[in-house]
Amino acid sequence: MSKRIIIDPVTRIEGHAKVSIFMDDAGNVSDAEFHVVEFRGFEKFCEGRPYTEMPGITQRICGICPVSHTLASAKAGDALMAVNIPPAADKLRRLMNLGQMIQSHALSFFHLSAPDFLLGWDTAPAQRNVFGLIAANKDLARAGIRLRQFGQEIIEILGDKKIHPAWAVPGGVRTALSEEGRAKIRAWLPEAYATTKVAFDLWKKTMEKHQREIQIFGNFPSLFMGLVAADGTWEHHGGKLRFSDSSGSIIADQLDAQNYLDYIGESVQGTSYLKSPYYKPLGFPAGMYRVGPLARLNICQHMGVPKADAELKKFKKLGHGAVTSSFLYHYARLIEILASIEYVERYLDDPDLSSEDLRADAGINSLRGVGVSEAPRGTLFHDYTVDRNGLLQKVNLIVATGQNNLAMNQTVAQIARHYVRGNTIPEPMLNRVEHGIRCYDPCLSCSTHAVGQMPLHIRLIAPDGKVLNEIARG
Amino acid sequence: MNREASIKAELLVIGYGNTLRGDDGVGPRVAEAVGNLRLPGVHTLICALLTPELADPISRAGKVIFVDAAVDAPEEVQWRRLQPNKSSQLMAHAADPHTLLALARDVFGRAPEAWWLTIPAVDLGFHEEFSPKVQRGFVEAVEKIQAFCRSPQMN
Repeated sequence: MSKRIIIDPVTRIEGHAKVSIFMDDAGNVSDAEFHVVEFRGFEKFCEGRPYTEMPGITQRICGICPVSHTLASAKAGDALMAVNIPPAADKLRRLMNLGQMIQSHALSFFHLSAPDFLLGWDTAPAQRNVFGLIAANKDLARAGIRLRQFGQEIIEILGDKKIHPAWAVPGGVRTALSEEGRAKIRAWLPEAYATTKVAFDLWKKTMEKHQREIQIFGNFPSLFMGLVAADGTWEHHGGKLRFSDSSGSIIADQLDAQNYLDYIGESVQGTSYLKSPYYKPLGFPAGMYRVGPLARLNICQHMGVPKADAELKKFKKLGHGAVTSSFLYHYARLIEILASIEYVERYLDDPDLSSEDLRADAGINSLRGVGVSEAPRGTLFHDYTVDRNGLLQKVNLIVATGQNNLAMNQTVAQIARHYVRGNTIPEPMLNRVEHGIRCYDPCLSCSTHAVGQMPLHIRLIAPDGKVLNEIARG
Repeated sequence: MNREASIKAELLVIGYGNTLRGDDGVGPRVAEAVGNLRLPGVHTLICALLTPELADPISRAGKVIFVDAAVDAPEEVQWRRLQPNKSSQLMAHAADPHTLLALARDVFGRAPEAWWLTIPAVDLGFHEEFSPKVQRGFVEAVEKIQAFCRSPQMN
């Protein structure tokens, strides 16, 4: 019998990104805060559910990254069962995650960011969207849509659905890759490679034109965190955690995700539902770190596939130690698309993907399990505590956008310092703040995914808390 | 050739909605039922949301029917003729049929004739059952699509 759940108050769901910019006594920008006013609530209402339902439940958190949640959740389930999943299941999960990387990064680069690159930040929002992009470069718009389609097809071929596939389960996966599916994915590869070449060409022109943005769109020292393989190769689903600093030095390595609470703290701010994680040994807020494509490329030594490795070498030359400009998240995203396509191609020759040994079976062997996977936007933690029957007692989710929260605040402040004079909120700043946030590709709700014009509510706040000016758009 | 790109349907039926939100799931269920009828020349797509990449198979179809639950529609199951938008806000993981038709026209070169088949919904709660009204609407919608396939419009 189905159960009816009523959640109140729904009025807490809100579609605008809210930004507060704090002024000092001299009238200069001192700080900024990016508020998230959507209330997720999954941690609470999942309590009491069986852990086996979590890959299905938690992927409903989002329509963009359901795959990331279902995979991290399945890994947490593996840990509760204390099993090593069959090698074929691990490879199949990885293949799906690569499809997720491709589709999500293609969306970010082509649909959300390319209109800004091609049309410029000062173009009216009504034109600065995918339809403006179509008018400026129809082939590029089509290629972007098709590249995303490729990633979605991988997910659908494996999970039978593009969105919310019920496929990854604690202990493994439900089905292997069929020969028909293998052939379909293979047929996409030439077009996918061709599209990445077009994207790299566009990006190189963008970098030449936007040196100023590279300097002021979130260019500051911070830590970087993500998964890496034991030999320092880029990872997206296995491996262990690594922290490095802006000089490029590794400050902690091969950390077991099961013990993440030993080195990650979570600060709660009264103005946002987004928690702000930090590297515990350095405290809050000095332990600010960034996750996602920029971080993953900063912490790894190589990508493990030739074409992407060649691009990684060029990328690393852009920093002294680490690459610190958040504007270069876009470049990192493209390199990850290329690497993902290369890894997909590699997997297509692997006979393991047709194996029938796909699922380890066990009861509860550990009362706590942590699953970590790299979502397109960054490292995703699912931490479950269960009773002996496998019913959830406690759930903690740490999502990429939360981990980038402090860096997003700093990015907004840095951009505002260049554009705010007195009590006015100039239109050029609004467009650039929007893009500064978009560099992180935050996943909050549909509000941050509106193509072309992000609904924004910006307030300038005096030292005494008085609102000096505010502007809402969208 | 990939799955969606290979679709060259005479009629493409796209049923969309959230199957965990009561009546909102009627679009996917109608498309599923139509798919099970195996009508010649008819292809079906089932999705939770309308996403931009659907513009590709839409551009290749002879005609398109979008099937959706509606709370703003009249009391009966109703056809609405669709036109592509001139331009519109496009959400990254959700679009409306007008916008998708515009994308199909502008990016893939063709927007086919299209209709919106709406089924009045009354209960969008967190469950998987249909209200009595949508149970009736479901049957009527499947019959209307079958009738459409027999009509002169399909010639």
